[in-house]
This record gives sequence, C-alpha cells and structure tokens, in this order.
Amino acid sequence: MKLRTSEYFITEVVHSLRRNSWMSLASVGTVAVSLFVLGVFLTLVLNMNRMAGMLESQVQISVYLEDSVSDTDRRGLEHDIRALQGIDTVKYVSRDEAKERLAERLGDQKYLLDALGDTNPLPDAFEITVTQPDMVETAAQAIGHFDGVESTRYGQDVVQHLFDITRLMRIFGVALMLLLAAATVFIIANTIRLTVYARRKEVAIMKYVGATDWFIRWPFLLEGIVLGFIGGILAALALRSFYAAMAAKIYSTLAFFPLLPQYPFMNYVTVVLMLAGMAIGAAGSSLSLKRFLKV
Amino acid sequence: MIRMHNVSKVYANGTIALDHVNVHIRKGEFVFIVGASGAGKSTFIKMLLREELPTSGELQVNGHDVIHMAHEDVPYLRRGLGVIFQDYRLLPDKTVFENVAFAMQVIEAPRRLMQHSVNAVLDIVGLREKFRCFPSQLSGGEQQRVAIARAIVNNPSIVIADEPTGNLDPETSWDIMDIFQRINQSGTTIVMATHDKNIVDTMQRRVIAIENGHIVRDEQQGVYGYEA
Repeated sequence: MKLRTSEYFITEVVHSLRRNSWMSLASVGTVAVSLFVLGVFLTLVLNMNRMAGMLESQVQISVYLEDSVSDTDRRGLEHDIRALQGIDTVKYVSRDEAKERLAERLGDQKYLLDALGDTNPLPDAFEITVTQPDMVETAAQAIGHFDGVESTRYGQDVVQHLFDITRLMRIFGVALMLLLAAATVFIIANTIRLTVYARRKEVAIMKYVGATDWFIRWPFLLEGIVLGFIGGILAALALRSFYAAMAAKIYSTLAFFPLLPQYPFMNYVTVVLMLAGMAIGAAGSSLSLKRFLKV
Repeated sequence: MIRMHNVSKVYANGTIALDHVNVHIRKGEFVFIVGASGAGKSTFIKMLLREELPTSGELQVNGHDVIHMAHEDVPYLRRGLGVIFQDYRLLPDKTVFENVAFAMQVIEAPRRLMQHSVNAVLDIVGLREKFRCFPSQLSGGEQQRVAIARAIVNNPSIVIADEPTGNLDPETSWDIMDIFQRINQSGTTIVMATHDKNIVDTMQRRVIAIENGHIVRDEQQGVYGYEA
C-alpha cells in the first residue's frame, strides 16, 4: 500500500469515528466489556491450571500405621517402602509430633485438642514423596498392602477436583466468550453499516472513477479493527488493575497462594486481548461489508 | 472504442430494456443518445460502465470485453471512462479542488501530478478561481463543470454523460456543451444521453435514437426528431 493511500485511509477512519462518535463509543464499550470478561476467565483458568499443577507435583502420601507396629517392624517397613520404585523421601512422623502439628494448625481453636486431655487419637505415620506425580497412585496402593499399614491417603482427589473445576470453567468460559464475541461482532457490524451508509455517495463516486474493491473496503475494515483495538486496550487496562487489586488482596490473606506473577503474565494477556479485539473488529467489518457494500 | 453486437438486456421482472442492439462508436466521435424516458437510454449507458450486464450479445469498450472480463478488472475499465450525471454527484463536504482531486486519489495517482492535473482541468472548465469553494456555494452550471473536471482529470478516452444539462437552463446548458465540444476536439470520445432537442438539433452530431429497446435511427449529422 502506498504511503499517501495509508494517509488517506487514516484520515477517513478518523473522520468516520468522529461522525459516528456515539456508535463508536458504544462499540468500543461493548468490545471492552466482552474482552474484559474474556480476560477474567483467561486469568482464572490459567491460575487454576497452575495451582492444580503445583499441587499435583507436591502431593505426598501419608501412610498411617497400626498401633501394634513395633519400632523394629517400623524400621523394616521404612526399608521396604524405600525399596519401592519412584520413592523420593520417606519421613517418619510420630503420633506425638502429629499432635503437636495439629495443635499448631488449629491455632486459636487449640482448645478442641485440650478436650482430649492426655489421650492421642493420632496414629504414627510416614510422609512419603515420590519422584514423579503420576507415581503417587501406584506407590500408595503398593504400600497399602504392606503389613502394619492401616491406611494410606494422598491428595489425588483434591487435585482431580481442581482439574475438574478448571475444565468446567474453561468450557463455561469459552461458551460465554463465544456468545460475547458474537454480540460484539454484531455491534461492530452495525457501526460499520452506519459508516457505509454515511459514505455511500463517496463509495458510488469511487466506483465510477475506478477505485479498486480493496481501496474502497480498506477504510471500513480499518475502522472496525481500530474500534476493536481500542476496546482491547481498555479491557487490558481494566484487567491489569483488577488483577493487581485481587493479587494484593489474596497475598495479604493467603500469602502462600500460588498466583501467577503479574509480570510478564499480564503483558501476555494484554497482547491476547488486543489481538482478539482486532480480530473481532475485522470480523464485524467484514460481515457488514459483505452485506451492505456492493462493490 | 465501443462495439455492441446483438446486445439484449432483459431485467429480472421481464422488462426488455434493449433488444438486439448493434452499435459501433469510433474514437473521437461525439454521439447523442436520444429517446423517451424508459426507452432504454439509461440501460445503454449503464452497460458501458458495466453497472448492468447484457443478458446476451457482445460488448467491447476501450478494448475490454465487458461481458467476460474478471470482476477485478472492472475498475480499470472505468478508469478509461469519465462519467457525468444529471445531478452532478459532488461531495458536499469537499471543496472544488478536493472533489476533483478525489478522483485521482482513489485510483492512487501520483501525488506530484495531482496539483498540476487538477489545476489544468479546472482551467478547461473555467473554475480555477473557485477551487476553494464548496459545492453549495456554486450555481448548478458551475457544479456540473466541477463534475466534468472530475470526469476528465484521469484522462479518460471516453466521456459518458447521462442528461448532463437536464437540470440547467438553456444558456448554462450551452456553456456545458461548449466544454464538451472542447474535450471532444482534443480527441476524447463523447457519448451523451439527452432530452434536449435544441442542443441535439444545433450541434449536428451523430444521433442514435432508441425506442422500446430498439435503435430506430442512427444518423451521422442527426436531429432530435421528436417533439420535445
């Protein structure tokens, strides 16, 4: 495209945005809201994925021992466990230690434990980590069959739940996004239709003097893309401050929470939203041009 | 230049606008197309511009096979044609200069040519001094002169005018015809559809009369031939 032609296109787009300022504003607003919702879902899903992934890699197996197990048996058992494939660490947690930990975790509600007096209902246990997350299940089952093991527990079900929720959110998010995208495309198409109408005389003259189809189409297409782009930027800005505020809130109460760090994550999201805005804008324009601009 | 062979046009509603029309217009000719409203004049003009396609027949314009040409080539057919309408069709928010320059701009003509070419055609139509005016500040005749300037700024080999004097008083009409004559003298072919008996009879040019979709008369130095 020649330089002066781009100049011409840009002037046309600016003129047109001014001429339809209210409609343009409405389009930009709709794009911004839709993309903001898209961004929120994107952020949520990505964070939950990361959380699930981290939990999965951190899963440990708790092996609870029967009360009757003697110290010697216990050492034998520890030896057998270490001999299994894929075992990383094995840590013995005595019932006293377990009670202390529980008291610590209860914090203010320690009085619940006091009610038990000197009795300790907790069993001796091993805490086992594996080298690879997918070894958890087989290791836990094998250990469960050893003599002196009362039960084994691991966090697989929690992780599974988290993944299920994430998948559900992803489906819901995609459905919502498609719906919003369709609505946005429609709004943009309508704005461009107004522009086509406002410029119908020029378009007619352009055709008579021999302007090419693409020369006629470009300013309209560009206008849609600009509307989408501005909407995308607004959505990204809103999402950035939203994420910053949420992150600050979450860190102040749940310091260990594995949130994706704002940078560079938010930069990626910004780029995604801007591109999505431009794509939506281009789609809206094309739709309108196909129906209303006979070239 | 223009060659119609057995051209017919039947509209979707069954109206036969042109019926086996044969016309040959050579380079440099000045041709009037006359006939009552609805006789097929407009269809004739529209086909030259490829606004309408013939239902059957052969049509050559400026070396383009109008019927079989690719859609992408239509702009290049039109760049060889200058069009003028009864209602001027100027852009009200552009000045005289901008209206004329617009025709160059949209075919991506070199900018360095623009100033010079626009001034040259404004000279031809005698509106050089009014280049800053908006169409609303001009009389009907002046507006039509701007439209003519716009039509010829890209040096078309054929100028097609559809009732160019239809909205003008007789005196102003003659100013317009004077410009057309000058354009024609420089070698440009002119095809003009008109109702103006006085003009046709005085000019003594080739007259093609259309009636009910047929060419009923084609004379080298013809007259209008109807009661106006």
